[in-house]
Amino acid sequence: MRRFLVLAVVALLAFSVVPAAVAQEDDTVTIRVGNTQDWETLNPTWGYLVSEWEVWNNQYEGLTTRDENLEIAPGLAESWDGSDDGLTYTYTLRDGLTWSDGEPITADDVVWTIETSKEQEWENYVYFTQYLTVTALDERTVQVTSSIPTPQLPDMGFIILPKHIWEPLGDADGVASHDGTDGVGSGPFVLAPDGFQDQQAVTMVANPNWYGWEGEEPPVDQIIFRHFENSDAMVAALESGEIDAAHNVPAAAVENLESNEDIEVVIGYQGTIEEIAVNGGAGPAQPHPALLDVEVRRAMGHAIDKQALIEDLWYGHAQEGVTFLPSVDRKWMPEFTDEEKFNFDPDLANQMLDEGGYLDSDGDGIREMPDGTNPIVIRHLVNTNEALAAQYGDLLVGWMGAIGIGVELEAMDSDQLGTAIIEGNYDTFAWGWTPGVDPDGMLSSFIADEIEGWNDANWVDERYDELYLQQIEELDEDTRIEQVHEMMKIFHEGATYISVLETPEIQAYRTDGFEGWVRQPAEDGPIMYSTTSPSYAALQPVGGGGGDDGGVNWLLIGGVAAVAVVAGVFVATRRRGTADERE
Amino acid sequence: MLCVNFFLFRVVETDPLANMFRGRQVPDEVIDRLRSQFGLDQPLGTQFLLYLKETFSLNMGVSYRSRNEVWDEIVSRIPATVALVGTSAVFSAIFGTLGGIVAGWRRNTWKDHSITSSTMVLYSVPEFWLGMLFLLVFAVSLGWFPIGGMYTAGSNATGIAHIADYLRHLFLPALTLTLAYLGEYTLVTRSSLLEVMNEDYLTVARAKGLRDLKVRNAHALPNALLPIVTLAAINLGYILSGAIAVEAVFSWPGLGQATANALQGPDFPMLQGLFLVFSASIIFFNFVSDVLYVYLDPRVEEV
Repeated sequence: MRRFLVLAVVALLAFSVVPAAVAQEDDTVTIRVGNTQDWETLNPTWGYLVSEWEVWNNQYEGLTTRDENLEIAPGLAESWDGSDDGLTYTYTLRDGLTWSDGEPITADDVVWTIETSKEQEWENYVYFTQYLTVTALDERTVQVTSSIPTPQLPDMGFIILPKHIWEPLGDADGVASHDGTDGVGSGPFVLAPDGFQDQQAVTMVANPNWYGWEGEEPPVDQIIFRHFENSDAMVAALESGEIDAAHNVPAAAVENLESNEDIEVVIGYQGTIEEIAVNGGAGPAQPHPALLDVEVRRAMGHAIDKQALIEDLWYGHAQEGVTFLPSVDRKWMPEFTDEEKFNFDPDLANQMLDEGGYLDSDGDGIREMPDGTNPIVIRHLVNTNEALAAQYGDLLVGWMGAIGIGVELEAMDSDQLGTAIIEGNYDTFAWGWTPGVDPDGMLSSFIADEIEGWNDANWVDERYDELYLQQIEELDEDTRIEQVHEMMKIFHEGATYISVLETPEIQAYRTDGFEGWVRQPAEDGPIMYSTTSPSYAALQPVGGGGGDDGGVNWLLIGGVAAVAVVAGVFVATRRRGTADERE
Repeated sequence: MLCVNFFLFRVVETDPLANMFRGRQVPDEVIDRLRSQFGLDQPLGTQFLLYLKETFSLNMGVSYRSRNEVWDEIVSRIPATVALVGTSAVFSAIFGTLGGIVAGWRRNTWKDHSITSSTMVLYSVPEFWLGMLFLLVFAVSLGWFPIGGMYTAGSNATGIAHIADYLRHLFLPALTLTLAYLGEYTLVTRSSLLEVMNEDYLTVARAKGLRDLKVRNAHALPNALLPIVTLAAINLGYILSGAIAVEAVFSWPGLGQATANALQGPDFPMLQGLFLVFSASIIFFNFVSDVLYVYLDPRVEEV
């Protein structure tokens, strides 16, 4: 046994030293970013994971982009002019643009991308391009016309693809089955040759042709995105310096990381919420009849201690919300007064239920309907795919119990839950949303047409729908903001989202690695995995150096060699010993 | 088996596409087109017949999540899994058996007690916990090994350096799995050795004046090791199924990770493909162990 132990120790030491010899020192400035999601595809026409968007945000540009305040900013187009009716815009491309492989970027690429996306119904494009027609006026000028008036123009943020790479792929199937590893892009970094392998990392290299470098040497040569299946391991890698930054840091690790002076934690908000939703009763199946009374739903809202949710589930790193956020951009969210919010007040909640006639007539601790029948016991669906959903459920049981409402918990995975919601077959559930920049996407989820679709509140309101149709065509932004504010108030009064937390992206970076991180939105947003991820092109290595040392430790290698020799001799003598014993 | 494979994942009524498109701005027509492209708009019976037909023509379909051929997806992950689980299966078989021999032959000594109890502990400890512990000690505190992954990301090393890098990444997860599997072999070997030790032919062997080691190696072991062949064959069958927990702790891109990902869709074609491969490998290795038995054990005669 002893010789195995010796061998094991030798192996352990040998393996641990080899890498030092392997890591060749070169001048490549590399930033390593950890993430807990892998990549299914790098095809931007249909991929949808956040990890994939982070790659495309670096590799590609649209005609326009968003700055750190989420304002529309020049992308491939340096300028644009709109007609008075807001239907037609003319974009002028920057001079001398080229793809990373040296081919020129022309109006032809823009026309091909928009027209083909419509024709082949690319999932990530049709919503934006279905009403657009586009013509190339010359090499650098394109005219875009929308068949409906839309306030979303002049935003043309979707990715323009290199025609010379994508056109040869042929029809819709050919385009969809492309894995997106061609590495030809227009952004600051593009996928390295063989940069996407084995689902464990994506390597991107600086695109020398990107207009933003303005002919200067890119300060960062390479970005490596690393996938960690386990977020604790990712945090450990950040602490040990194996990575320079991490996305999706668990809330439980924040306190520990904050005590490390080489690490800065970023709590970034970009409109993500977690809600407890009550069935509004507009779906095919009906909730408990008590929930059809909006006063009961409001009372339930007053019974939920959001501060406790924040402390218990988010270690304090989340904030109280009012209702869903229509956009990453705060300007679309109205101010709510204290009276309008469902502040934690169980006494008020009990009083509201008493006044509504929902009394506990048989003294079992559960209220009944005003006619004394049908105890109010609700079915709360727990999403087993969400890490915190089970705790949400347990806490809800306690809070509802305090106001005489019983709760039965039912566990489902997110598919089953989605189906139950569409059918209206639930009383409450906890889930979340992340909005885009334009409020239309979120707002459209709660119109009557989306019952049995995205309307997970199963709630309808005529005035809301009317305003929805107005704002979708309103070209004056101030007027549109007023309309959206009114919609938000109406939705909130409907009390289907009775508890809302605004939850952050928790990220962290090493302060000894790179500086110049950009938050988006600027005041409290995340530094990575944001709307357009502007950080990477702005980063500079701290002190101008590459950072990692990979020197060969000859002393250790010598030591290991010595141990190996000794072990070899030991094993050999043992062998001889046993040979002597043979008969 | 094909039936179980198909219906097992459909017991729960779910719509993979609803999950895929939640919160995205995609027109309904596009989602419907995709649904019919995946064949999800067909009745379950039709889907099943289609599945049987395609499986027999060795077409496993296209993964919903990556839209690549399921077969290609699986094949690309096989090397990682075989390297990890295969290495640990072999090492645990060797060291576990050796430990069992020592423990059995020297039963009730301190050697027996320490080997038996330590392998029992390792066997009972959850793999992910052991893995996390190794990660914290050897990778984080001591910094001897990388924290997960299969290669140093972005390294362009080739040849020996590349292999060394790979082995260095493989070490901790393989060590974790080896230790976790050790107990089985030790206990089986020990008890089967104890069984033979009371046999008359061993007394005869000793009476011939043979050395203790000779008695053990030439007479006791060949008989005692038969159950180990079965155990090893069964474990080899599970190599492809990967090690979901350990692959997760060390971000090892094997079939275990693929299975965990496919479950969150659910990605039916991928799950079906994975489980088909898993069951095929188990059946194959059971067959191999039966055949081996014929050669190793004269009592099992060829019919």
